[in-house]
Amino acid sequence: MTDFSAWLESTAVSKSLFGLSWLWPTCESLHFLGLCVLIGGAGLLDLRLMGFFRGVAIRDVKAFMPWAIAGFFTNLTTGVLFLIMQPHLYLSSVVWWCKIAFIGLAGLNAMFFETRLSKSALALAPDAEMPRSLQLVGALSLFSWFAVLYCGRMLPYLGTGN
Amino acid sequence: MAFFRSLQDSDFTNWFLGSDSIWTYPTVLTLHTIGMAILVGASIVVHLRVLEVGRGFPIERLRALYKFIWAGFAINLASGVVLFITEAADRAVDPVFYIKLGSIFLALWLGVLVKRRLIDRADPPRATITTSRILSVSSLGLWTVAIVAGRLMAYLKK
Repeated sequence: MTDFSAWLESTAVSKSLFGLSWLWPTCESLHFLGLCVLIGGAGLLDLRLMGFFRGVAIRDVKAFMPWAIAGFFTNLTTGVLFLIMQPHLYLSSVVWWCKIAFIGLAGLNAMFFETRLSKSALALAPDAEMPRSLQLVGALSLFSWFAVLYCGRMLPYLGTGN
Repeated sequence: MAFFRSLQDSDFTNWFLGSDSIWTYPTVLTLHTIGMAILVGASIVVHLRVLEVGRGFPIERLRALYKFIWAGFAINLASGVVLFITEAADRAVDPVFYIKLGSIFLALWLGVLVKRRLIDRADPPRATITTSRILSVSSLGLWTVAIVAGRLMAYLKK
């Protein structure tokens, strides 16, 4: 991984992107905005699945998901740019790999919801009691996204690899 | 100014910034980011709904999101005061810091106006809906300014 990291950082793409002094702070601002949109939109659905906002149809809460997904892709794009510019900050950091693992967990959880539970969830009456499975999926999603945020923000301070 | 200087040079600041523990500066900084996610995340949902995203979501149910907005704000006010103390003299003369504070308070105030005029009202007149949309767009813009200013402050650190 150190070889790959050193190679990536020596490429012309990495050097020229990192050479643009405005790019890093711009990506940081976008990364922060993206996380707010993602946690706002996805968090609303998570809370609904956990049983909050009873009486509101799940379909109407899901309407905010395209925004959350746009936030996710904003952060994926800016995140990949950080990685290309300074791979050594990330690839050798355990905390960064934890962050990636939590993104994976959130993604698998969302996929499980979409493929297995979404249909029955959408068919629920708006004031129905939330089944335990949906409550768990919602709580796991909310936890994962905040874990992603925690790992990302603590990255420079927790066991940095260099 | 001497007061801000004394805060920035205090024993508290030296301990807070100089400590090797992750429970001082890194944790307070992370709390500031968690509070931001809750505060701005909930605000974005409120204002998107006012702008007709998720029309089926009953407007009056947005009221519950204001609890998250105020909880996030409380976390960030508390963590923000601590972070300010440690750089008080630098921030007191930093225009970007004032832009950040100004846009936060204005964005929050517009959010409160949207609640009072639209969300708390059973049958708002047409004109109120239009005004609320303008307030919501402005509030979203101000949150963007606040976040960009906050991020840029890290680059203006001495």
